[in-house]
Amino acid sequence: MSDTKAIFTGDRCLSCTSCMANCPVMAAIKDYRGPKLVGPAHGRMHFSQEDIEESLNYCSNCKSCDRACPSGVAISTLNMLQRAEYYKKHEHLRSEDMLAHGERMANLIRKIPFGATFSNLGMSIGKALGVFSALGIAGERNMPAYAATPFKDAFNSIKQPASAKKVVLFTGCYINDNEPHVGNAFVKVMNANGYEVLIDKQFKCCGSPLVVTGYLDEARQHADNNIARILDWKQKNIPVVTPCTSCSLMLKEEYHELFGEDKFHEAATNVYDAFEFLEMLQERGEFNDNLKPLNQRLLYHVPCHLKSQAIGLPAQDILEEAGANVNLADSGCCGISGNYGFRKEKYEISMKIGAKLFARVKQHDFDKVICDCGTCRMQIHHGTDIKPVHPIEILAQAYQ
Amino acid sequence: MKTSDVIVIGGGLAGLMAASVAASRKQKVTVLTYGSGSLPLASGAIDFGSLENLPAHHPYKKIGLKACDEAAKFFYEVTEQANLPYVGKLSALLPIVTAVGTLKYSALVPESMNASNLANKKKFFIVGINGLKDFYASMLANNLKKYFPNKTFEIAKIDLHLLGGRDITCMDAAQLLTDNEQPFANELKALKASKDDAIIIPPILGVAGDFSRDVVQTQIRAQIIETTCLPPSPPGIRLQRAFMKYLQASGVRFFENSKVVRGITDGKKVTGVIVENAVREKIFPARKIILATGGFYSGGLTMRDFDQPREPIFDLPVFFPTGAENWSNMQLFSDKPQGFSTTGILTNDKLNPIDADGNVLFDNLHVVGANLGGCDKIFERSAGGIAIASAYKGATL
Repeated sequence: MSDTKAIFTGDRCLSCTSCMANCPVMAAIKDYRGPKLVGPAHGRMHFSQEDIEESLNYCSNCKSCDRACPSGVAISTLNMLQRAEYYKKHEHLRSEDMLAHGERMANLIRKIPFGATFSNLGMSIGKALGVFSALGIAGERNMPAYAATPFKDAFNSIKQPASAKKVVLFTGCYINDNEPHVGNAFVKVMNANGYEVLIDKQFKCCGSPLVVTGYLDEARQHADNNIARILDWKQKNIPVVTPCTSCSLMLKEEYHELFGEDKFHEAATNVYDAFEFLEMLQERGEFNDNLKPLNQRLLYHVPCHLKSQAIGLPAQDILEEAGANVNLADSGCCGISGNYGFRKEKYEISMKIGAKLFARVKQHDFDKVICDCGTCRMQIHHGTDIKPVHPIEILAQAYQ
Repeated sequence: MKTSDVIVIGGGLAGLMAASVAASRKQKVTVLTYGSGSLPLASGAIDFGSLENLPAHHPYKKIGLKACDEAAKFFYEVTEQANLPYVGKLSALLPIVTAVGTLKYSALVPESMNASNLANKKKFFIVGINGLKDFYASMLANNLKKYFPNKTFEIAKIDLHLLGGRDITCMDAAQLLTDNEQPFANELKALKASKDDAIIIPPILGVAGDFSRDVVQTQIRAQIIETTCLPPSPPGIRLQRAFMKYLQASGVRFFENSKVVRGITDGKKVTGVIVENAVREKIFPARKIILATGGFYSGGLTMRDFDQPREPIFDLPVFFPTGAENWSNMQLFSDKPQGFSTTGILTNDKLNPIDADGNVLFDNLHVVGANLGGCDKIFERSAGGIAIASAYKGATL
């Protein structure tokens, strides 16, 4: 698998420009030189001599370029590696520090009595006073509100039937800190399928926000920690499953592309997307299809980081079998790409990229919008005032 | 995973066409692609090459003329639905102007590029755009003068304020022009071209359908003609988007980044294919498979060792010219084809792959597009025609 390490893939580039034709950032602005020039071309040069390509910071790591590439070049990861090089010699902005360390912030806040309540209040006051904007965060956006109790703390109070069949839920930061109800829905679905859900409090943030902000050394620490845990669970034959498609892409593929060692790939084989796992149960005849019919029309925005995983669209298949009518939004990238769209100077680009999706959602010819990715859901909500849900929440409704 | 009626492997012109045709016949279609296909790199014009006096092993001999005609008709349906009108037919070729000012003749041509009326025009305005790379109006004019020595040429330079930021390609200009056509229309109006004139421009009138062209052309009396360009190429992108629109409207499932590594077979039937992702394999079951993975350039054919070309998914027998001396033609621009370019899979007239003795290997697997061997499609200029005609036939069998 060592040939999938990003740095070894640059030489496969034929300069065909397929990545340019599919880059949503290039379509939105003309300042970005584009994946071909910044990734494989410049990405190989800068290792031999010090040379900075400033427009590198426009890449959102949405991975549209990687999916367009006929030659398997890990273009976006080459960009992220260069970004890390850049920050070895340049200071991070305050906003970058904040946006990269959502998990650290949440943990700090949780140490203060009523910290979540006050910080939610603080965030709305802060927004009104223009504090975010002054810090370099897009003042137009709401910062995601903290849940009163993080999922990991509330988890023990969830009553589950004991089972010999177990999975470990990798919650990811957004489900843990902001949308624990998605975690609850996951537990309900897994219980209905005869699985007991475990959590592992030693897991850290997958590192995606760190990678895209150039904190590669820190991301590496998270990666080492997380895969040690995943390998431990693998030894016990307990799969690690996550409903967050950016977390799963990081754990399954990006760690290995970024850091190259075989252990990352070995750990990755024990990681599953939630619906990928359910579909595998289905294929083994172990899926509980005793479902209440879902008479709903759903509009599905498929996150970029799910498209990159090459697992088909198991959520669509399963929800359709449960009687839902699932239509794909087919409107490209939503534009937010994790913390990208939260940066003040990227806000406009992010909204421009998302415009096609917003227009599609605003047609409102459905009961609910579904999307596996937390930040995509925030972006759709922000751009349309229609709040999407995770597909696992819909499936949970179908289990009585 | 539900069983598809048809799985199409490959998202280039042949794959998109095959998926569209199958979907139009109410089939449940899944497309698996690895890379976005080469349409964004293509001119948008479809060349058929010659349909006459062909050797027995030529793909057209297996496809048949009927499928060629029907494919062209279906192609028109797809493009019309996307407001991307095409003109031309197989029996008479139309000229288009290339980026360097030569004329190239094709069968199916985007209406925006149709240069067949140039001979009747009085004056040619050749329009360059400030800051646009790879488009040189004066070179284009000098070359085009060789075809039209008695015409008046005027070279104009238009400023669309593209400078600042990266070097601007035709695709960039086309994206920036989308929904913002008026400044360009105003500049063209200022040329004061009459209805008897032609305005020749790089292909920058948008990246989806002819919507931008409609906005501009309705305000200009002279005929606006787009040239070809270096990739990424807006006319090719428009064609790709026309097909994608058709597939989306037909409920075709389209999975990117999905590299098919092998087939699951049962005697002469292929029952499914296996996609390998970063960590595991996934089975996609199907009743019928269309192989549209392309030739050497797209990885549909590979060659690690000389004289041993491979088709990597089903390990189909691959035809290639024997003897190194027949492999290449040293005279690159001569009137002889390149031997290596004839490499590919040979089929029966149902486009099922056959071995050297003519035995069918899989009867529900159909090979289409650049996977097909037996002719040098680049030399013949038949790649586009073979792609859509074989795709049409493969999808209707």
